[in-house]
Amino acid sequence: MAHALNSFHSLGTPLERMHPITKIVAVLALGLSALLWPDFTLGAALVLVLVVVAFLSKLGHPFMKLILGFGVPVAVMLLFIQGGYSSRNVTIIADWGFVRFGLEGIEHAAKLVTTLLVFLGSFYLMNKTTYAGRLVAALTQVGVSSKIGYLILASLNVVPQMQLRLAVIQQAQNARGLDTQGGLVARLKAYIPILGPVVLSSLTDAQERGMTLETRGFGIDGVRRTSYVQVHARRADFVVGCGLLLFLIMVAVLSVMWHCGIIPLPVLIGGSR
Amino acid sequence: MALWDHPLAGTDRGFEMSASIAVRNFSFEYQGADARALKNVNFEIMKGDFFCIIGANGAGKSTLCNAFVGLVPHYFSGKIRGDILVEGKSMRQSTVAQLSETIGLVFQNPFNQLSYTAGTVAEELAYSLGNRGIAYEEMERRVQDVARMMRIDDILDRNPAELSGGQVQRVAFGSTFIMQPEILVLDECTTQLDPMGGEEIFDIVRRLNERGVTIVMVDHDMERVAEHADKVMVLDRGKVAALGTPQEVFSAADLDVHGVEAPDFLKITRSLYEAGMSGHKPDVTQSGAIDATREALC
Repeated sequence: MAHALNSFHSLGTPLERMHPITKIVAVLALGLSALLWPDFTLGAALVLVLVVVAFLSKLGHPFMKLILGFGVPVAVMLLFIQGGYSSRNVTIIADWGFVRFGLEGIEHAAKLVTTLLVFLGSFYLMNKTTYAGRLVAALTQVGVSSKIGYLILASLNVVPQMQLRLAVIQQAQNARGLDTQGGLVARLKAYIPILGPVVLSSLTDAQERGMTLETRGFGIDGVRRTSYVQVHARRADFVVGCGLLLFLIMVAVLSVMWHCGIIPLPVLIGGSR
Repeated sequence: MALWDHPLAGTDRGFEMSASIAVRNFSFEYQGADARALKNVNFEIMKGDFFCIIGANGAGKSTLCNAFVGLVPHYFSGKIRGDILVEGKSMRQSTVAQLSETIGLVFQNPFNQLSYTAGTVAEELAYSLGNRGIAYEEMERRVQDVARMMRIDDILDRNPAELSGGQVQRVAFGSTFIMQPEILVLDECTTQLDPMGGEEIFDIVRRLNERGVTIVMVDHDMERVAEHADKVMVLDRGKVAALGTPQEVFSAADLDVHGVEAPDFLKITRSLYEAGMSGHKPDVTQSGAIDATREALC
């Protein structure tokens, strides 16, 4: 049976206990810091930090799979495109005839890849360590509309529900003689007739869901919603959140100062103003 | 819980004989349908009544239940005439959410009752309370009480998507009941339960009614209807075919014409009476059948 809501499974780690808003702040602060910093070094350092956090949160293996599975192909693609064809290229480091690799393009590609990985990795850790109900409760606590909260929960629930529906329809079709086993082509042929009923029944579900929500008071106006899921911010959440925001501000200030030529940044590798 | 603390608790039945639901010349035709699902229906359900609606499949029972809570016409569009007043509020002029503060519906298909936004049964039960801004402490108290009453306290941490049909039916009932509505509409709400489970739920419904909650129930168990209903209405192809006490309705000679079978108790007492084996007149209740059988055996 498919699990509803997001892919959260409690592992009892400190990251899991962290307030969801602090985690959202972390995703934004780390991602934007990597984006604002003039070169890829900060992004690379943050990816390493995220790897350590992932292992401490008992998510090291799936996190590495994600980073390598996404990072390697994207890095190769971007290094080739940016390294070979970027207009920034001045310093040629390799000439293969049909393509000339420039240092500036490669460094720009490295910055893009590390920034993407910081956003992706931090979001993955947030998603894996945050119960969706807790996330929405935290968002509504800070004033986000309950309708947006519902949209988040419902969106997270769409895929598991469709998987469940697909399994039911597949079983019904199997019972009527449709063979959904075998090779790739055979399975593709078998799944095509199932897709129609899955999509149609999902649309029907959406209508029924709307009715249910209304009969359960979803559309009541003028009421400040409450939640059964209680989320309390601890002192540690406040400290971490403030620390991350300070870090982002510091990175932004340093980057602006470097762009304006006020200060030099010695760690820069090929950063361009 | 709510059973004991229900806002209506303590209201003696029969004291307030005003209408909870008043159906006035109500007709409805689904968009694209050939015929009207409900045809000029007129009746009233009094406060605190145990009102049962019976009839064959397609008679219009579920349409009527959906109209009570405003799903017809707000979600099921079509041609509508007349009106239904729920505690004085017109279902045509009120939103479904507004009506839900007074009237609760337990769907025929319990899976339709779930919000699918909750990761646990406890959250599912509390969903409606959150929409009404109920404080956490009160929410928790109601969730625990309803869970105990519905015998789902051992699955409060389970994911609603992983429950059996019977468990979902209990959660569905609990999620409506937890709102403490003045009127509870039950559209064949025990179909997924085993007979014992169905009786348990029915027992809760009966106790709620004793506490003053108006019950509107669609049911195919004629013995149960005959035993407990204050009023029974037979719907046949969208029209009111009969309306009265169980004794009056089930004693009608043309009952089977409307696709409704008389309760077994009535058949037994009628057979004994017609055979001259008992002086008891045909009776729809279990106690009447016992008395008649005892007399026939002595």
